[in-house]
Amino acid sequence: MTVAAARVPAASTPSFIGGMSRRAKVIWTRRLVLLGLVVAFEIYARFIGNPRLFSPPSAIVYALFDEILVDPRIRGAIYQAFTEVLVAYVMAIIIGLVVGLSVGWSNFGRRSFYPIVILLYAIPQVILLPLFVLTFGIGPACKIAFGVSHGIFPIIVNVVAGMRNVNALYLRSASSMGASNFDLARHVYFPHMVPSLFAGLRLGMTLTLLGVILAELYVSTGGIGYWTKLYAETFDPAPLFALIAVLAVMAILLNELVRIAERRFTRWRN
Amino acid sequence: MSESTPFRAAAAGRPVAISIRNVSQRFGDAGSPNEVVAVDDMSLDVRRGEFVCLLGPSGCGKSTLLNIVGGLFPATDGVVMVGDKPVKGPLPRDISFVFQESTLFPWYTIRENFDVAFKFQNVAKSEWASRTKQALEAVNMGAFIDHYPNQLSVGMRQRVNLARGIALGTDIILMDEPFAALDEQTRMVLGEDLSELLAKTGKTIVFVTHSLAEAVFLSDRIFVMTARPGRIKSIIEVDEPHPRSPDFMLTPKFSELRNQAYALLRDEVRQAIALAREAEAAHA
Ligand SMILES: Nc1ncnc2c1ncn2[C@@H]1O[C@H](COP(=O)(O)OP(=O)(O)OP(=O)(O)O)[C@@H](O)[C@H]1O
Ligand SMILES: [Mg+2]
Repeated sequence: MTVAAARVPAASTPSFIGGMSRRAKVIWTRRLVLLGLVVAFEIYARFIGNPRLFSPPSAIVYALFDEILVDPRIRGAIYQAFTEVLVAYVMAIIIGLVVGLSVGWSNFGRRSFYPIVILLYAIPQVILLPLFVLTFGIGPACKIAFGVSHGIFPIIVNVVAGMRNVNALYLRSASSMGASNFDLARHVYFPHMVPSLFAGLRLGMTLTLLGVILAELYVSTGGIGYWTKLYAETFDPAPLFALIAVLAVMAILLNELVRIAERRFTRWRN
Repeated sequence: MSESTPFRAAAAGRPVAISIRNVSQRFGDAGSPNEVVAVDDMSLDVRRGEFVCLLGPSGCGKSTLLNIVGGLFPATDGVVMVGDKPVKGPLPRDISFVFQESTLFPWYTIRENFDVAFKFQNVAKSEWASRTKQALEAVNMGAFIDHYPNQLSVGMRQRVNLARGIALGTDIILMDEPFAALDEQTRMVLGEDLSELLAKTGKTIVFVTHSLAEAVFLSDRIFVMTARPGRIKSIIEVDEPHPRSPDFMLTPKFSELRNQAYALLRDEVRQAIALAREAEAAHA
């Protein structure tokens, strides 16, 4: 909504940067800031920082194409991590929605179950990681389960919060027209809770990624966690940073996907 | 109430569309201090094609009664029959609602709103477009089919809301203060439209309003209710064929009926206000 508002005066406000529109100015400012950060990082790593801990961006890009992407084992590890995150996220969404909708459906459900959810949410799950390993082994199942356990909570919490204050008249009117419970969820609750739901979905995505990577770091015999640890322990920052960059790109991609979906569902607000 | 009017004679021959028998509604746990008897042992019949108005002070249980008739929640006591079926839940094929605030979903365009209503009601998809178009054109809103409700004025929105209630094609329409949020002029125009619709389609309408003029202008019978707990205090018959023209409002008959309704209502309104004060004092 802010974007739309900012776009309005964009027409052709003459400005000192060569008659650039306000929007173009914003975009170029952003790009310059990013570029400045990269350059600063490059200078710091090259001339000041400890080369065993820091690596200049140029070296990172080089390592990405020379060490990371050419190694089929690492490519496999990246692919596996991506699959784990994706599967965990989809499961977190489904479970989170089902649990959230059931808990938030009635006052009774909310009052009886919501405090339990909040309680569980408050526990730092890392301390349960050994339990996950015992239950799911050290393969992908463990990472997926751990990712799910992180991702579902913000989704449940935001679904329940989003279902609150739904206009009772919408529900009544829909029921009078013969809407089933599924119809109510699909056409009343869902659109009503979209803003809150997507806040939950984004947070859930970040936490799913966190859960998967935590599990990867803790137990991995060849996954992305194994390689990260290897590079860190051998003080080889360039490929380490390259690997981190790959994970970051993964996070950004997923986040973008969620954002596109959100925009699709909030068109009516503009 | 006159003994035997021509209307009564005509209506008496028609089958009963809605039969309300000894309906009571309590909210809150029985015996607890927050127990509220909203409706107390009400019985009334509405005949097919009749336009009936519920008139009563605020909080006397009009909306509650309407919701019970529409099957939105079960009555504590008593039965409602629609045709020969007891009401046990919503009857989307027989009854549609038009609520005061526009209940169009803000997240759907007008077209999508109609579509989703037909979907809820299980109407064949092939009929959706034509029924939507026809209903919108009847209220002169055809041009706004792809607008979101927020892009319309309150009056326009409520006209669309009314059109949706009609498009659903049920024989019975329950209306809970559908025009309350509208300005006086729009209200009157829509009232005329409604009267015309009634004459054309023979729908059965139960209508809740706080406007005496609206009640007299539209109704065949006005049920004046008492303050809480709601009971029927009196029935006023308006013997005037539909469609009614605005000229009807200028006749002595109209003012007489209006005054009659007001006289019946005045004490109840006072009583309701006293009740509200009492409740507030008890709360403090
Ligand atoms: N869900 C509920 N829980 C508890 N009390 C309720 C509930 N719904 C209605 N009531 C009470 O029942 C009484 C009748 O309410 P209702 O909404 O039917 O009145 P009304 O005649 O439609 O009033 P108005 O003209 O102001 O719309 C009120 O005292 C109200 O407080
Ligand atoms: Mg009401």
